[in-house]
Amino acid sequence: MNIEENGFTEDFQLETPLAPKQTRLQEFWLLFRQNRLAILGLFIFIIFFCCAVAGLFMTSGPDPLFDPAMIRLQEKLRPPLAKPNLDSLRHEEIPYLGFYLMGTDDLGRDVFARMLQGAWVSLTVGFVAVGISVLIGIFMGGIAGYFGQHHVRVHHILMMLVLISGAVLVTANFIRSGAVLLCLIPAYLFYSLRIQNRSGEKTSSLWAKFLYINAVSIDTLIMRLVDIMLCFPSFFLILTVVALLPASIYNIMIVIGLTSWMGTTRFVRAEFLSLREQDFVAAVKTLGAGNFRIIFRHMMPNAIAPVLVSATIGIATAILTEAGLSFLGFGVPPPHATWGNILSDGKNFIFDAPWLTFIPGIAILIVVLSFNLFGEGLRDVLNPKLRERH
Amino acid sequence: MQRSHFEIATMTIRRFLIFAPILLIIVLLQSYFWVPTYDEQTKGNPERLNEYITGSIGDASLLNPILTADSASSSIENMVFEGLIDRDEQLRFRGRLATSWEVFEEAYFYVNPSADIPRLGRADPETLVDFIKKAKQKNQTKNRELKDSLGFITDIFVLPPKTSWVTKPFKDPTTGKQKNINIRIRAPARIKLILNRVDPDFFQNLSLLLGKNYFESFNGKTYLMSDSEMEKVKLESYAGELLPAIEHNPVLLFHLRPGVRFHDGHLFDAYDVKFTYESIMNPKNLSPRIADYEPVKSVTVINPLTVKIVYKRLYSPAMGTWGMGILPEHLLNHNALKEEAHRLGKDSNTFSMRQSRFNRHPVGCGPFRFQEWKSDQYIILNRFDGYWEGPPNYNKYVFRVIPDRLTQEMEFYAGTIDGYDVQPHQVKRLEKDQRFQSFSGTAFGYTYIGYNIRRKPFDDPRVRRALGMAIDVDKIIDYVLYGQGERITGPFVKQTDYYNHNIEPVPYDPQGALTLLAAAGWKPDKQGWLTKDGNKFQFTLITNNGNDLRKAILAIAQDAWKQIGMDVHTDLLEWSVFIQERVNKADFDALILGWQMGIDPDLYQIWHSSQTNPYQLNFVSFKNKEADDLIIKIRQEYNHNRQVRYCHRLHEIIAKEQPYTFLYVGKWTAVLDKRIVIKTIDDAGNIRYEKIKPTKTGNYSFYFNKWIKLPEAPGFMLEG
Amino acid sequence: MISFIGRSVIQKIITLFFVSIVSFLIIHIAPGKPSQVDPMNPKFTPEVVERFQKEFHLDKPLHVQYLYFYRDLFTGETVSWKDNQSVLKKIWERFLNSLPLFIVGTIITWTLSFPIGIRSAIFRGQFYDRSATFLSYLLISIPGFFFAYVLIIFVVNQFHVPVIGMETFGIGDGASLPHIFMDRIWHLLLPSLLGATGGIAVLSRYVRSQMLEVEGQDYIRTARAKGLPPEQVHYKHALRNALLPFVTMFGLILPGLIGGSVIIESIFSWPGMGRMAYEAILARDYPVILTVNFVSAVLVLAGTFISDLLYLIVDPRIRL
Repeated sequence: MNIEENGFTEDFQLETPLAPKQTRLQEFWLLFRQNRLAILGLFIFIIFFCCAVAGLFMTSGPDPLFDPAMIRLQEKLRPPLAKPNLDSLRHEEIPYLGFYLMGTDDLGRDVFARMLQGAWVSLTVGFVAVGISVLIGIFMGGIAGYFGQHHVRVHHILMMLVLISGAVLVTANFIRSGAVLLCLIPAYLFYSLRIQNRSGEKTSSLWAKFLYINAVSIDTLIMRLVDIMLCFPSFFLILTVVALLPASIYNIMIVIGLTSWMGTTRFVRAEFLSLREQDFVAAVKTLGAGNFRIIFRHMMPNAIAPVLVSATIGIATAILTEAGLSFLGFGVPPPHATWGNILSDGKNFIFDAPWLTFIPGIAILIVVLSFNLFGEGLRDVLNPKLRERH
Repeated sequence: MQRSHFEIATMTIRRFLIFAPILLIIVLLQSYFWVPTYDEQTKGNPERLNEYITGSIGDASLLNPILTADSASSSIENMVFEGLIDRDEQLRFRGRLATSWEVFEEAYFYVNPSADIPRLGRADPETLVDFIKKAKQKNQTKNRELKDSLGFITDIFVLPPKTSWVTKPFKDPTTGKQKNINIRIRAPARIKLILNRVDPDFFQNLSLLLGKNYFESFNGKTYLMSDSEMEKVKLESYAGELLPAIEHNPVLLFHLRPGVRFHDGHLFDAYDVKFTYESIMNPKNLSPRIADYEPVKSVTVINPLTVKIVYKRLYSPAMGTWGMGILPEHLLNHNALKEEAHRLGKDSNTFSMRQSRFNRHPVGCGPFRFQEWKSDQYIILNRFDGYWEGPPNYNKYVFRVIPDRLTQEMEFYAGTIDGYDVQPHQVKRLEKDQRFQSFSGTAFGYTYIGYNIRRKPFDDPRVRRALGMAIDVDKIIDYVLYGQGERITGPFVKQTDYYNHNIEPVPYDPQGALTLLAAAGWKPDKQGWLTKDGNKFQFTLITNNGNDLRKAILAIAQDAWKQIGMDVHTDLLEWSVFIQERVNKADFDALILGWQMGIDPDLYQIWHSSQTNPYQLNFVSFKNKEADDLIIKIRQEYNHNRQVRYCHRLHEIIAKEQPYTFLYVGKWTAVLDKRIVIKTIDDAGNIRYEKIKPTKTGNYSFYFNKWIKLPEAPGFMLEG
Repeated sequence: MISFIGRSVIQKIITLFFVSIVSFLIIHIAPGKPSQVDPMNPKFTPEVVERFQKEFHLDKPLHVQYLYFYRDLFTGETVSWKDNQSVLKKIWERFLNSLPLFIVGTIITWTLSFPIGIRSAIFRGQFYDRSATFLSYLLISIPGFFFAYVLIIFVVNQFHVPVIGMETFGIGDGASLPHIFMDRIWHLLLPSLLGATGGIAVLSRYVRSQMLEVEGQDYIRTARAKGLPPEQVHYKHALRNALLPFVTMFGLILPGLIGGSVIIESIFSWPGMGRMAYEAILARDYPVILTVNFVSAVLVLAGTFISDLLYLIVDPRIRL
């Protein structure tokens, strides 16, 4: 949000004395304030964020305030607010608050400590996964939208094939032959630079012409890639990859990220396609701005709105996806606690210790809901078509 | 006109938008009134008492005992198929399709013309036989063991010398090409002895009579000739295989039960046994049980009710393998499969038993006959009225697939399933319930933490022991297993004689652990972390996901080791990644895993030092000379008492070395409705009801065929 | 029109080809081997494992395996490694099980979303709109399995009727046809409702925003200015135009046919497609995983193709 706003306020102040008195941020806030649900969402989101950060500090380090890994088997399944049985505990095992705020789980671990730690981990999973997907989405969508008409030539494709097969060979343990293929890449770069230097000369050989045939436009290429990715049912794809890869929190974040960038790509591409035709871009172009300046300084801030909305909702979805994976046993592995795996561990004890299910379940519900409502509010405010009142 | 038309259209749309969802919701909700409630299904349905419904997490894969090894499939196969023998309440063998059996031995040795026999000199075969016979009759030898061994001999034959050819593949060392070479064997005369029992020490004892070197000095190589340039060395390597000086051939002779019928009415006979064996060995069938039957030399049908199984070598686990369900030959033999392939329009050359319809419509001679299988829903078996032991009491055995533990439990509460794989914490809760009776018994599998002995610091037994001492196993049993487990100190099944009860479990003693670690050079640093030569005690403990108990132990062990200053990381891996990437490649520091044990004490694959390569089961790399010897001896010993002695010693060694921290042997637990009882009818025709009691070995379903559910819990429940 | 169809069919086939390669690579390069090749069972000797490898062509180079697999797939001869059943037959069986769930779920989604969405748009910003927004987001924010458990426990404890499985177990013996039919409907109710929650929330929001967008158009303003009753403006003028994009969505629900949620199917013991695929993943039953993947890719592509076509038909402004 910041990039966008700063970029624009400056531009307007510099060039247009007739600019509205309100900055866009203020205008935005005015509109947003009217959506009480969204405000509620934002409020909860901020609380959650604070909890997560506080949780990170209180549950990590060599001697944490709340130790989420501390096992007290004799204190298992104590209900919320229960006082610990002081006789059976060593000094360091006594909970910091003097009682179990949210009870203990089946191994006697303090659920409150685990929830605190889980808040941070869940938040990280959501943010990193969405961060990855948004970055890829913006990158792909930007290229497709801006450089879309450029064509990939046959020699590009050939080189990519060489690169990919080289990489595959290396990963499949045929290191030597793979390395040879990979070595071809610098040679190719050198060659193409040389060709470019003497681009004035006409290359007349048939072979060279073949290499320079326009095979497919970049836009088509990227959109076909999006199509291919969309052909996989997303949860199923995530499940396949997560089940097949060694479980780790990073793999889960990366996989969720890598399988959800397609929507963003489409948004950004569509926005770029329409922005490219607009006058202000043409104006900047005639001023001689470079491609990157145009993209990042002028077009991106205008295209970011739908991305922000989908990112907010994406975080909510990622948290839910992680919970779903936990249910199937493929969530974030211990020792990291996430709300998803606290919930799915707790469900076995739903009759003996309902708080183990309801505390994380309701916590996820509230946080995800707040993200969704916030995202919805953003959408309403940022979409000028819906903004008009009649 | 126009306007009103619009209005009507508008109204219709509006109404539709309001009524369609309401209608939909009503239609969906009213279906509630048509559904039989749980009460109607259980109390309102008298047939329900004659059904036993069991709930399972997963479905069976195939219903063919020779093709499957998973537990869901075998639970059904055990009902449909019957083996030759099984184990009774005391875990002794009990005849099923076999009424009785004999175990004896055919022993062979080649006459060694170059050896001097004490008090006889060099002898031709006939003289040698006479010599042995005389020694047996005279009964004058002082050595008791030799006397015993000679006493076992019931018959001696001389096999005349014979010449034969074999073809062996051979890799030419110069060209590296694979080719076949022919070897001519001019075997000398051979003596065949029939012993009335299996005697692993027979030749050892016989050599007291024939001279120490009689068997060792037999040189098989001199009788081999190859037609080509093959070097002598190569030939020598075949000598042991082609002309072994001595050979033990244990024999199992089964007398089969007459008049037993398969579910389709066909009579069961010895050819079915032979066929089952051949199907397992048929490479086309890819049977996972092939290893059990590999030592079999031949299966011969003596007459339709007698089958003789000869083994290539001493192999004491052999007997247990014949509990395997017997397949009906007439439905699966070559012709039957060919016909089926023809009917399905498939290539009859590639069509194998794996593709047969039989695997989803099995026919055996067990107490229940197959009726219906809906994948991932249920398998229904009907009572087989022609069962040889008398039909079971239940009309139906139903296997319901309910993949979720919670809904499984709720169905059990409601009475729509009678049994399921109940979790320890659920037992705890259900125990108090008046409606249920619960059982538990020691299981056959144990859970352990295994250390990779190849890696430091686990190469030091003191460290391994200290690691075990840091974990409070009793607490794990009490709180994680709710008491549904027992401590275990070694690799044998606890309720068998093989288990050495004199060995004390590793005590919970963190201070003692620190002392031991200090002796091994690990001292706490300023922050309390154990260090040695500047290195922190740091390792990763892994296990597979999907097992809540192992996951709990993972967390507990990590915490316990942290208490004494070890920095332990943990990792949960998906099963097949865990096995293939970490266990098989021995790429781990420590892991939590369990072994499901057979009753037989054969530990070769898990503990023998030859099994430490990648993809083998001694992945912790346990190597101990004495243990190796004992493992081989146990494998070859047919005498129970001696086997027990070896096992106790092996148990001691393993407990001392602590390659595993043996944690606990779980209890299988079961909760049943109290109305389920054992119903027997005595000879006078009186019906008697008994409470279900587990057998001494802890098996509660041993009398399953006699079970029945009554409308009310019977009175003796209240008394007792 | 024809050239459009031809072009897009060719395009889809190329996409499918790449999908087949990618899915094949994902499965085969990932660690882990089929459970039949699982030497953790002491009974498995290396020879048996090797024989299985050979039987499954796992000893061949990847491209050969690829060719073998797709040859088998197109001749309909693919068999599952787990039980040697024909994969297509298995998928068909599961498809028939998942179909009612899908149909009821879709009907619930579509019949509920439209009234909710339209009314939200009409009462924009008012209490109805806000509570509808809140409720629909509430429904998609609950972790699915948590919601399912709470529902099941509630229903079973309150009404004492079975909710899991495709039908009450054993009802087939002796019950009348309407009983069996209604029993099936009852068992469909909870899982399809749970499956539909996400759809209702998303679709009703989409209907709402479409309606709002249309209501902002000049011709609606004109209609209003003409003095037409607001009802008529909403339901006649606005709705008709707002509905246009939804026609195309009929194509996009096609992939849902083979989707099937693993979690809901496991909890409700529903022998559907998702569970089969999930178990196939765990057992590394490559033929099943790849076939399900392939079929679903075909459905996705067919779905987009149909929706493009529908768009072409319903929107007169688009002429290709």
